[in-house]
Amino acid sequence: MRPLPIVLVVLGLIALVLPKVIYPLVAIDVLCFALFAIALDLLFGFAGLLSFGQAMFWGGSGYVAAMLVQRAHIDAVLAIAIAVVYATALAFAVGLVSVRRSGIYFAMITLAIAQIEYFVAVQLTSFTGGENGFPMDSRGLFLGRHVDGDVPYYFLVLTVLVVCLALAFRLVNSPFGVALTAIAQNEQRAIALGYRVHRFKLAVFVIAGALSGLAGALFALGNHLAGLEMLDWHTSGTVVMMTILGGASTLVGPIIGAGLYENLSYFVSKTPIGAQTDLVMGLIFAVCVLSFRRGIAGRLLSLSWRKTST
Amino acid sequence: MSPDYIAAQIFNGLASGAFYALLALGLSVIFGMLRIINFAHGAVYMLGAFATYYAAQLLHVPFYPALILAPIAVGIFGMLIEALILRRISGSDPVYGLLLTFALTLVVVNLVRLLAGPLGSPYSVPPSLSSAVDLKFTIYPAYKLFVIAVSIVVCAVVWWFVERSLLGARIRAATENPVLVRALGVDTKRLVTLAFGAGVALAALAGVLAAPTTNVQPYMGDDIIIYTFAIVVIGGLGSITGSVVAGFALGILQTIGAVYYPPIATTLIFIVMVIVIAIRPAGLFGRPESLR
Amino acid sequence: MRIARVIPFLCASAVLANTLIPISPAPADTAPVKIAVITDMSGVYSGLSGQGAVIATKMAVADFGGKVLGRPIVVDAVDHQNSATIAEAKAREEFGSGADLAMDLTNSAAAIAVASVAKDVHKLAIVTGAASTALTGADCNKYTYHYAYDSYALAHGTGASVARAGFKTWYGIVPDYAFGKAMLSDFTAAIAPYGGKFIHADTMPLGTTDFSSYMLAARNAHPQVLALLNAGADTVNSMKAAKEFGLDKQMKIVVGLLFLSDVDALPDVFAGSRITDSWYWNEDKAARAFADRFAAADNGLRPTSVQAADYSATMQWLKAVKAVGSTDADKIVAYLDGRKFDDFYAHHAEWRARDHRVIHDMYVMDVLPKSEVKEPHAWMKIVDTIPADQAFRPASESTCQKTW
Repeated sequence: MRPLPIVLVVLGLIALVLPKVIYPLVAIDVLCFALFAIALDLLFGFAGLLSFGQAMFWGGSGYVAAMLVQRAHIDAVLAIAIAVVYATALAFAVGLVSVRRSGIYFAMITLAIAQIEYFVAVQLTSFTGGENGFPMDSRGLFLGRHVDGDVPYYFLVLTVLVVCLALAFRLVNSPFGVALTAIAQNEQRAIALGYRVHRFKLAVFVIAGALSGLAGALFALGNHLAGLEMLDWHTSGTVVMMTILGGASTLVGPIIGAGLYENLSYFVSKTPIGAQTDLVMGLIFAVCVLSFRRGIAGRLLSLSWRKTST
Repeated sequence: MSPDYIAAQIFNGLASGAFYALLALGLSVIFGMLRIINFAHGAVYMLGAFATYYAAQLLHVPFYPALILAPIAVGIFGMLIEALILRRISGSDPVYGLLLTFALTLVVVNLVRLLAGPLGSPYSVPPSLSSAVDLKFTIYPAYKLFVIAVSIVVCAVVWWFVERSLLGARIRAATENPVLVRALGVDTKRLVTLAFGAGVALAALAGVLAAPTTNVQPYMGDDIIIYTFAIVVIGGLGSITGSVVAGFALGILQTIGAVYYPPIATTLIFIVMVIVIAIRPAGLFGRPESLR
Repeated sequence: MRIARVIPFLCASAVLANTLIPISPAPADTAPVKIAVITDMSGVYSGLSGQGAVIATKMAVADFGGKVLGRPIVVDAVDHQNSATIAEAKAREEFGSGADLAMDLTNSAAAIAVASVAKDVHKLAIVTGAASTALTGADCNKYTYHYAYDSYALAHGTGASVARAGFKTWYGIVPDYAFGKAMLSDFTAAIAPYGGKFIHADTMPLGTTDFSSYMLAARNAHPQVLALLNAGADTVNSMKAAKEFGLDKQMKIVVGLLFLSDVDALPDVFAGSRITDSWYWNEDKAARAFADRFAAADNGLRPTSVQAADYSATMQWLKAVKAVGSTDADKIVAYLDGRKFDDFYAHHAEWRARDHRVIHDMYVMDVLPKSEVKEPHAWMKIVDTIPADQAFRPASESTCQKTW
């Protein structure tokens, strides 16, 4: 009995009914964060690179897409595509500088560059609206059609997510993905085996950046708003939390993590202790890191193994 | 801009560097000894400030005793956290330490917010230090000179202790080869807890020094943590000398930056960090083998 | 570790249970009239607005009789946690489930986001807790009213009052973002007619904690006025730094944005500053009467100007609903636009049709030192009143592209 197909089926069923049972805009947020977290998982769970600056792609692309749709009135699909190109190019440039380092140094470089991008966004107030954010009148036209209803937009994002998830699975099970895991486990050995380690790392960083940008563009258009918090380092921290909570290096784990985090936040905000969302999430996260480091999905997926290594 | 003015601004830089140095020192001690990147360092700084405030409010403890008592109290709290929580992940990838301390930060900051409210709590400069001193080139607040002095003294003491004393040598040995050190009969667990407590106490001391001149509110450590990380990385992770030098140097750089182009003042630290890592990956004083 | 094996199941079922708990909207037929108070309930603005805003709104509803058009009135308290994204989503959800009015909206980013939603769904939003003049300028729309204060009114009140008293040379401490820059430009314009000008203004990053270098520079420049045009923690930190360098003894200190709740928290820090606000709880008998009732409902705390504005705006809106006979936003806008009114909060007021800026008298006040405070929370002394027709940006200068 292999757990992965079962988990996927369950997630699929939940995904189909989600906008009916929770507020559709929150459901859209769940999907966007799920994609964002999958991107981080590729980087952290498979390549072992903890980036603390992914918000630079999520937020950067979010602003690019929002500004193109609202100001230049171009088709939303084209705007998203340009936003993804932006994220890809940025990831390439940042990657060139940062993948030569690892561990805490890599995390710090990505954080620092994300802060620099934040600073630039605040400076360009006339462009970005500064701290007032960049609200949008409508999501724009997707290949000529309106997708202003929340439920149709949800299914649009779901389609994108499913396609990206499938691609991600293909990627990690391909020779490229296997090489990445080998590099993450023992870089010296991989180098000795002749792998151009930095090229692999740069490639996965660019892919993760592009996916994060796609997620961010969809999020901004979904919420009719690109805000400074999309570029804030707390957002980078939140997506790391989601990925670890759900289970890194599983690809489905981040989806669970995003779903859990967003739903819990939403649910808690409706209760009398609503203001304490961060406190609750912090406690849950701490318990998670302490008790099962492979996250929820990690545990679920390992259930069929006889020998459980803790 | 006259040389006197620049000299005065450099003193401002030393004062702000004094905080960075203490914080970076604490972070380096913790990383050096526990291989944990303490994300909760900013929260601890905040606890130091609040401990000072509540000590004054509830126990009528004046400023000077608070300088010693508050860091000790917060240090003890840190040691408890280490023994009960952080020890569970010792030996794991440093990333887990980062994540766990990140979670602890959320918990601590929000608990303080529940207790003290989100706005500031009042605390002023002690009367004995609220005058100005005639430094010939400028009239300068006495309190800032006090902060600079305290920081330099404490940094020097810690440096001497870690690099030159027997206990410091034991702690350093325990980091590099814990098994061998245990085999030699030294209780490494206790050393590690002590080191964590010391690192936390240093951050708390920075918080105590900050309370009179900074708004004492739950989020006061929020941004300072990422600047501290940047400074530790610039100085070299695990290097005591590097943390102190980088702390003071970047304090001065940031202040001079504020004089010439204020908007970039806080981003300057990150720009410098990116440059330093690109040229010298292990930081200015770091050892290359500490890179993973 | 058998317990540990159960944990993933528990978590998974928590996720499932969570997603299967239906959070369904209220049925539309028996619909009560719903007011959604969307504000910061727990963060830095919770003292200015927060729970007190909800209390004030509920007081207005109760005083109105609890019903309008035969339907009960319900007040929803919504925490936007200072996130524009959350504010926007919550506003959509509230409007979608039957809310007829979004009230308060403290925090300019949240206000601008919700104004955009209001325009989209054709329902009203009344902003009492945000400073941005964009709400009646570039981001103006038919379905949003800006009710209490804005950066122009604050600047012109304090700036004109101080410059008129002979303080001509100003030094600005300005946070490097839209609010700060707006305050600087508004203050510059306000002091100019009286011969005042900024000899220098430093713009520093938002969230700067160390203002020493700027205070030293200010001391060197010998201005007559130090203008702190920032907000929140930045204001506290810059005030503390100003006092550290002895600037409070050398020059007049003016704070752009300050409220009763800030002084309640840190009275010593702000003593001696001059500010502008839209209302003060002890300004006259009617204000005091409201403040006494509010204190009874809120643990002895006195209402801030924003909380009083919430009461006033809610009451005005309910009266409009009754007069118009419907909650339809278009009809209410037609009723309110151009209408003049007067209540305990807003004197000589008008719902200005040109840009939906609600104008009313504003007050210049000094923060008293502790020794002169006669009863708890009585921190202010009104030194000047700015009449409604001068307090806000003139209609002729509005940048609002009126599309209605």
